[in-house]
Amino acid sequence: MAESLLAGGDCLSDLEVLRRDEAGAPLRAVAEPPAPTTAGQYFRRFRLPDLRRLEVALSISASPSTREQGEIIFGLYTPEGDSICLSTGLMIHVHTMSRAIKWMIEQDYESDIGFNEGDYFFNNDSFIGGGHPSDQMLITPFYVDGRLEGWVGGLTHVTETGAVEPGAMGSSFTSRFAEGLILPCLKIGESDRLRRDFDILVDRGTRSSVSWLADNRAKLAGLKLIREAVKQLIADVGIEYYRKVVREYIEDTLRATREKVRRSLFPGRYREVAWRGVTLPGQESLLHAPCEMTVTRDGRIKLDFEGLPSARKQPFQGTLPLFEGMLFNALIQNVFYDLRYNDGTFLAVELHVPEGTVCNPSNIQLPTTLWGPAYGGMQAAGQCVARAYFAMGYREEVHASGPLTSGNLAGGLDQYGRPFGSQCFEFAASGMYATAFMDGLDTAFSDFNAEGDMGDAEVWEQQMPQLWLAREIRKDGGGYGRFRGGNGIHSLYMVPPGVEMDMGSFGSPPIFSTAGLMGGYPASCLRVWVGRNTDLEARIAGGLEIPSSEGEDPSQPDFVRTVRADWEFVHGQNYAARPLPAYSLFSVVSGDGGGYGDPLERDPSAVARDLENGVTTLRTARNVYGVVVRETPDGFEVDADATQRLREEKRRERIERAVPAAEYKRRVRQRLLAGDIPAPAKALYRDVLRISSKWARGFREFWDLPEEYEVPA
Amino acid sequence: MISYPDGMIRDLLEARLSPEEVLRLQREKDEGRFEQVLRLEQERVPWPDRILVCLQEHLYVVEKPNGERAVKARCGHEFGDYRVNWKERALVYERDPQDGEIYQRHQGADPDWQVLREFYCPGCATLLDVEPVPVGYPFVFNFLPDLGD
Repeated sequence: MAESLLAGGDCLSDLEVLRRDEAGAPLRAVAEPPAPTTAGQYFRRFRLPDLRRLEVALSISASPSTREQGEIIFGLYTPEGDSICLSTGLMIHVHTMSRAIKWMIEQDYESDIGFNEGDYFFNNDSFIGGGHPSDQMLITPFYVDGRLEGWVGGLTHVTETGAVEPGAMGSSFTSRFAEGLILPCLKIGESDRLRRDFDILVDRGTRSSVSWLADNRAKLAGLKLIREAVKQLIADVGIEYYRKVVREYIEDTLRATREKVRRSLFPGRYREVAWRGVTLPGQESLLHAPCEMTVTRDGRIKLDFEGLPSARKQPFQGTLPLFEGMLFNALIQNVFYDLRYNDGTFLAVELHVPEGTVCNPSNIQLPTTLWGPAYGGMQAAGQCVARAYFAMGYREEVHASGPLTSGNLAGGLDQYGRPFGSQCFEFAASGMYATAFMDGLDTAFSDFNAEGDMGDAEVWEQQMPQLWLAREIRKDGGGYGRFRGGNGIHSLYMVPPGVEMDMGSFGSPPIFSTAGLMGGYPASCLRVWVGRNTDLEARIAGGLEIPSSEGEDPSQPDFVRTVRADWEFVHGQNYAARPLPAYSLFSVVSGDGGGYGDPLERDPSAVARDLENGVTTLRTARNVYGVVVRETPDGFEVDADATQRLREEKRRERIERAVPAAEYKRRVRQRLLAGDIPAPAKALYRDVLRISSKWARGFREFWDLPEEYEVPA
Repeated sequence: MISYPDGMIRDLLEARLSPEEVLRLQREKDEGRFEQVLRLEQERVPWPDRILVCLQEHLYVVEKPNGERAVKARCGHEFGDYRVNWKERALVYERDPQDGEIYQRHQGADPDWQVLREFYCPGCATLLDVEPVPVGYPFVFNFLPDLGD
C-alpha cells in the first residue's frame, strides 16, 4: 500500500525528507518534528478518523435508514471543495458534497452570509448537490490561524421531506414543488449549535421530523469529531505540510486511478443501454440511458451519454451532480475499490452528459425524485466495465447489472395519533447481480450502498406502522442465466386497525430495468398488488389462514387466492400513495439482479438446489434451464439424460424460430416506416431524434432509413 | 509482481474456483493475466486461429492465416470483420415477454414497452446476448476492441 501511495510521488518524498528534518520544524510551525513515519502512514490517518466517526454517528441517529442501513457518508474537503478522503457508506455522494461547497463559494457566501468555524450549512437542493430532496448534507468549514483550511461534510438519506406523497419518493411528482422542503445551502448552525428555528421549520413542514432532525445531530456529532481529528493532524505536522500533502493526495489518486485503468481494462469502445420510463397519464414514454465508454491505452476513461431523452415534468430524472455521483459510485465499486477515492478519481474520467436531458436538466423547477435514467446510466457503465475486465482476463470482476431501486412509502397518523411519514428502505437488501463465476446473492445487495441492509421489520414498524405479513425471498426474481441474478425481497404489508394510512410505491413502468450480460436474461419486472375491503379481520377473528407468501405463481399469488378483497394489480410498481382502510394488503417487491450467460449452460444441480430452497419453480427449471428433475423424499434429483435431451431440443427450437439478422432488420424497418410500433417507443424515438443529431444519424443509418425520416404518427 | 498458476486461472475460466480463491484474485491482481488467459483460451478452442482478445463468453477476435481479424465463436462459426457488430451476422429471435415460456406473466415486460431480442450463434445455437428493448431500437454494438489498426 505504501508503494502505491508513493507511486510517482516526488513531492511526497520531498515532504518526507522535510518531515524528518528537525531544521524544518519552524517552517511547519511545530516545536518538535513528528515521530518518524512514512507518508503512507500519514495518509492512512486521513481515512481512519472518518470510519471511527461513522460508527459514532450511526449510534447517535434515531432514523432506521441511517442506523439500520448505514445510509450515511462523511468526507473531508479542500478549501476549494475538492474531496480529499471519505468514509465508507453512501459512495454516490462523494462528489455531490463537493459540488455544494463549490456552489457556496461561487455564490460568494463568504462576503455576506459568512463562513466561520462552527457554522453548519444544510443542503438538500439536488441541483446544487445531493441526489434528491431526501439526500441531506451538513457541511462545516474549519480554520487554522484564522484561515479557511478545509471543509468536512456529512450526508444521510432521510425518509420524509414533506412532499405531496409521504416518504419523499413518490412516483406522481411533476414539479419540484411537489417534493417538499428544499433548502439550498442554508446556514442552520453557528458556534457548533444547530438553530432551533430550523428544527421548528422541519417539524412543521414534514409529516415526521424525527429522522431528519436526528440525522442532523448524527451528522453534526460526526463532523465535529472529524474536524477535531483533522485539526489535531495538522497540529502534529504543521499546516504547510498538510496543505502540500492534501494536494498531492488528490494528484496521487489521479495517477493511481489512471494506472489501474491501464492495467485492468482493455482499451476500446463499449456500449450498453439501460431502461426506465414514465407512466404518468398523458406522457407514457420509455427513457433510455445509452452509455458509450471509451478506454484509452494510457488509462483514460470517457463516458458519453449522447442520446439521453429530454428532461420534462416527471420524477424519473436526476441532476448532473447526482449523475456524476452515480457514475463515480459505479467506478469506485467496480474498478477503484482498492485505491483511495476522492476528486482525483473524478478527474480521471471525462464525462459528456447533454444539457437539458433527464440526467442533466437545466430547468430547476423539474422534479428529480426518482433518478430514472441516471441510475440506469450507472448500470450501463457498470456493464461496460464488466466487458472491459472480461477482455483483459479478469473474470473475477465480471458481473451483470445490479438491481433497480424500488419500494413502498406511507404516511398518516399512527396508532397513537401521531403523524408519520416514511419510505421503507428494506430495498437496500435487493438481489445482487450474477457474476461470471457465481449466482447473485439473494436479498443482500444494492448498488447505491454496498454496505446496505434491510433493517429489522420491527424497527420499521415503529417508524411506519404497516405490519409485515410476509418478508421472503422473491421467487424467480433474478435474471436467468448460467449464473442467475440474486432475488430481491417480497414483502406483504397489512394496514392495521386504528391508524390512518396513505400508502404507495415506486418502481418502474412494466419493463425490464436490470439487464443480463452475455446471454443472461434481465431481472423480472416489478409489480404491486393492493387489496382493499379484505376479509382479514374475519380471518383473524376466526383463526383462519393468514397468507405469508407469494407462492408458486406470481400471476395468482397465494395471498390473492386466499384473501377475499378488491384486488388491484399494477405492473411495474409505480403506485401513487392513496388512503387505504384497515386490513388492506399491499404487496411489493424490491429489485433483483441481472443474469449471466446462457441459461442452458447452468449446472443442473444448481437448479435442483434452487428448487429445494424454494427460490425457483418447476416450470422455470424446465422452460428456462432445460432441466428435468424428479422429486424425491430428500429433495430434487436431476435426470441427466432427460436434461441433455431437453437441452438439445431447446437448441433446435432456437435455430428454427430465429431469423438471420438481415431478415429481422428488413422486417423491423418496414414497421418503422409504417409507424407500426407501440406508443412508448414512439415517444422515445420522436424525442431523441429531435434533440440529438448524432443519435438520430446512428438510428437512421442502422435501419437504412432516409435522412428525413421521422416516426410516423 | 505476483502471478497465479495456470490451473487456478483455468478453473476461473470454467467457473470452478472456490469463493476464497476468487476473493484472492480480487484482492491481489497479477499483471500477466491477459497473456495467460489468451494462452489458456487458445488451448480450449478446437481451431488454430490465433486469439487476439476474448470478446465475451463464447466469442473471440482472432487473426486468421490470411491476416483477417474476425469474430469467431468457440464452436468455430465465424461472424466476419470484428469492426462490424457480430450481431449483424447472428440469428435473431424477437420474444414477446408475455409468451409464458421464460417469464411468468406478471414478471415479464409489457410487449408494448419492451420485447426480448435474443441473439443465437448460428453454429451452436448458444444464446449470446439478450437485449430488452422496445421494437425498433438499433442493435447495441457492445464492444469494439482497440487492436491498434
